[in-house]
Amino acid sequence: MPHARKTERGLLSLGGLLLLPRFEHSSGPWPQIVGYALSLLLTLAATLLVVHHLIAPLYLPAVILFLAVLQAGIQLGLFMHLREGVGPSWQIVALVLAGIVALGIVIFSIWIMAFKSGVS
Amino acid sequence: MIGQVQTDARERPLEFRDRRDNLAILGFWFFLGSDVVLFSCLFAVYAVFQGRVAAGPTPRQLISLGPVLVETVALLTSSFTCGLAIAAMRRGRTGPLAAWLGVTMLLGAGFVGMEIHEFATDVRLFGTWHQSGFLSAFFTLVGTHGGHVSFGVLWGAALLVLLWRQGLTPRVARRLYTFSLYWHFLDIVWVFIFTVVYLAGKIT
Repeated sequence: MPHARKTERGLLSLGGLLLLPRFEHSSGPWPQIVGYALSLLLTLAATLLVVHHLIAPLYLPAVILFLAVLQAGIQLGLFMHLREGVGPSWQIVALVLAGIVALGIVIFSIWIMAFKSGVS
Repeated sequence: MIGQVQTDARERPLEFRDRRDNLAILGFWFFLGSDVVLFSCLFAVYAVFQGRVAAGPTPRQLISLGPVLVETVALLTSSFTCGLAIAAMRRGRTGPLAAWLGVTMLLGAGFVGMEIHEFATDVRLFGTWHQSGFLSAFFTLVGTHGGHVSFGVLWGAALLVLLWRQGLTPRVARRLYTFSLYWHFLDIVWVFIFTVVYLAGKIT
């Protein structure tokens, strides 16, 4: 299928590294062990930050949310083999779209409800 | 070469050899995308309602971090053992695959058990989700995740039976792979629940 191959090459140059398909051929369970250790470490860090009041309460939600996003990235990259598949990794496109919709729902719900309580 | 497009089906992992299995895995990613949107709605509701406690408890009064930390470590560990199961599957080793999957199911069942106990204690001390907007949002968000995990435990147990009866065929491998995606996804959702509901509830 020369046409399909051309499309694939086009996407590769267009989408950059993220759209390159690749299978995990690991000789040992090291990605899993590293991912597990990092998850435990990040969970522990977030918990200690909250319990021992190590950061001003104003910045604390943003910091622990950032740690959660890091941990989600570790799960996606090291455990879920996000890029695996034959052909372009359309799952990344789907997930990015879902993420944009999700962020919109959360941010605008909070915004509109805060605004409403301000005027009523 | 890193990232080279692999065209030889025999060089791919078992679950990616057939075109239909490939599509099924991609379709499952799209389902996970829709589940991201579902949970985002519940998170939005929680964010809006967490301050509306009426006569019920505040998040700070409701939440005790100790038992939740145990639940979190159980689920993180189950995500790890699920990863080990898939790693064993990639090496074609059915024994370790079944064993790690069994450990994953046990940890998942333990998580669900602890959460049910937590909910029962909450209801006894503070009342049901009729009590306030906060409790409604709390039980809906955390309960929807718990329902997902409960379903995952049943699904994983069914796959263990399938693996035992049919062996490691490409189709069974694809089902185990999609199950692992589901399980890791639930771990990600829990990380956000733990952060937004439990940790953030203790801040103010």
